[in-house]
Amino acid sequence: MSASRPAIEAAGLGRDYGSTRALESLDLLVARGALVGLLGPNGAGKTTTMLLLATLLRPSRGTARVFGHDLVADRSAIRRCLGLVFQEPCIDGLLTVEENLLFAARLAELPKRDALKAVDDALERTRLVERASQLGRQLSGGWRRLADIARATVHRPALLILDEPTVGLDPEHRDRMWTLLDDERRARGTTIVFSTHYLTEAEACDYVVLLARGALVADGNPAALKATVGNDVAEIEGPDAARLLESARGAGAVRTVVRTERGYRIGMSGPREPLTALAAALPGVSRFAFRPPTLEDVYFERTRRDA
Amino acid sequence: MRVVTPVYGIVARDLGRSLRQKGRLFGGLARSFMWLLLVGTGYNAITRIEGAASYQAFVYPGIVVMAALFGAMLTAISTVYDREFGMLRLMLACPAGTMAVLTGRALSATLVGIVQGGAVLLCGPLLLDLTAGQLAAAAAVLAVAAASSSLLGLLVAAPLRSVENFAAVVNVVLFPLLFVSGALYPTARMPLWLRGAARLNPVTYQVDLMRVALGLPGELGVVPSLLTLAITSLVVFGLAAWLFDPEHRFIRRGAP
Repeated sequence: MSASRPAIEAAGLGRDYGSTRALESLDLLVARGALVGLLGPNGAGKTTTMLLLATLLRPSRGTARVFGHDLVADRSAIRRCLGLVFQEPCIDGLLTVEENLLFAARLAELPKRDALKAVDDALERTRLVERASQLGRQLSGGWRRLADIARATVHRPALLILDEPTVGLDPEHRDRMWTLLDDERRARGTTIVFSTHYLTEAEACDYVVLLARGALVADGNPAALKATVGNDVAEIEGPDAARLLESARGAGAVRTVVRTERGYRIGMSGPREPLTALAAALPGVSRFAFRPPTLEDVYFERTRRDA
Repeated sequence: MRVVTPVYGIVARDLGRSLRQKGRLFGGLARSFMWLLLVGTGYNAITRIEGAASYQAFVYPGIVVMAALFGAMLTAISTVYDREFGMLRLMLACPAGTMAVLTGRALSATLVGIVQGGAVLLCGPLLLDLTAGQLAAAAAVLAVAAASSSLLGLLVAAPLRSVENFAAVVNVVLFPLLFVSGALYPTARMPLWLRGAARLNPVTYQVDLMRVALGLPGELGVVPSLLTLAITSLVVFGLAAWLFDPEHRFIRRGAP
């Protein structure tokens, strides 16, 4: 593992399934230790991107390197520094938690003594010691996920790839899971790439990649992405919402517009007062509120605009 | 020799799982003894087979092979459970790769086949006059049969997407392999087309080798049978490795 190379470098990375173009051409540069969120609607190419980076798929075009190792030529080297978490926890219900971790350590080629120590460490780290002898099928969904994180990190990988890891988790276990991952990053500089549909989870990312229909539609840190929407988002609803939007456009304050079920979300640049005055003059505006931009605004604006 | 560790890990996991599935383990053993006792005893009364003291004595080598066939193949085919629950994808992403995963699975399935076939083999002296040498030879053939069957099981599992197909596979693959193998009746008396099918069936060679090992007359010859099993096993392993390659699976299945 070359110490000077970024965690991930991809240039024009793409993948087809027969005549279906799942991933167009992705350029990525991910620094070591970064927390990277892959966002996008279903079918955007998130899972394909992760399977490519996990070396479970070969690219149809483009190149990529993980810690300096070529994605196609050095698959084994990449896999040695890789931890994977899929949507469904990969915990064998017929094995105990401890046996599951030992199995993962052996798959990662850890010698016997190292494997046993790694399992003890992982149990300690994830606070699963008390559940070590429970069968996988006896665990609740939340504990299964935590055991899955212990499983994926038992060999202390330098890169963790997680495909929608928080699906179906209650807030308590979700919080525990993110705390574990955060500890892993801080203690060991682990690079984490994850996909999610919960956009608030991506707010803490160093780098966000937004995909739609197999193409990159936006990337950057969350603050920079949110700034592209404007300094405020106005939510307007009611029969006069369209008139208010036209007036706002006339005033030149509109950066982005997203149509919602009941009105619009307008990304604004500049002061709030002119739009507030316009809204006050229109009796058919039933709801009018300002709030700071979120990644959800970026998501809707970029994915719908390109539809 | 790093690759030994993941292979060992897969074998240890599979055997651990098998030991915890006691119903399946005992069911596998019961199946063989039921065939031997119920079918064997029933046919004893109505069937005479040339060169065998009784139908039960004739069918016994086939039942040993059957026990190994079902034990090994069903364990190998259970890979489909791993696929359905995502465990297979995790294994295939290990540094050692597809070949190590298949080797591990084949080894564990072989061991399960040997245990199930071995239990039937240990009862051999109750039915036949067997020397220690014959028992040792039969044990060696049992290992070959279990290994060959485990690879066939992996090949069968490769295209399966869901556990729902599992029962159908048992009926459509396992029983025909057994029925068209000479395990239950001599291939020499089969119609020509069925005899031709038997010659294409690797289990036929396993059964014939087992008969010879247990001191009964064989039809196909030891060396040709061993060669046939070796060649088919290599081809089957190669095909299974190709089919299990995640890349190949995704090409056929489409986008994940």
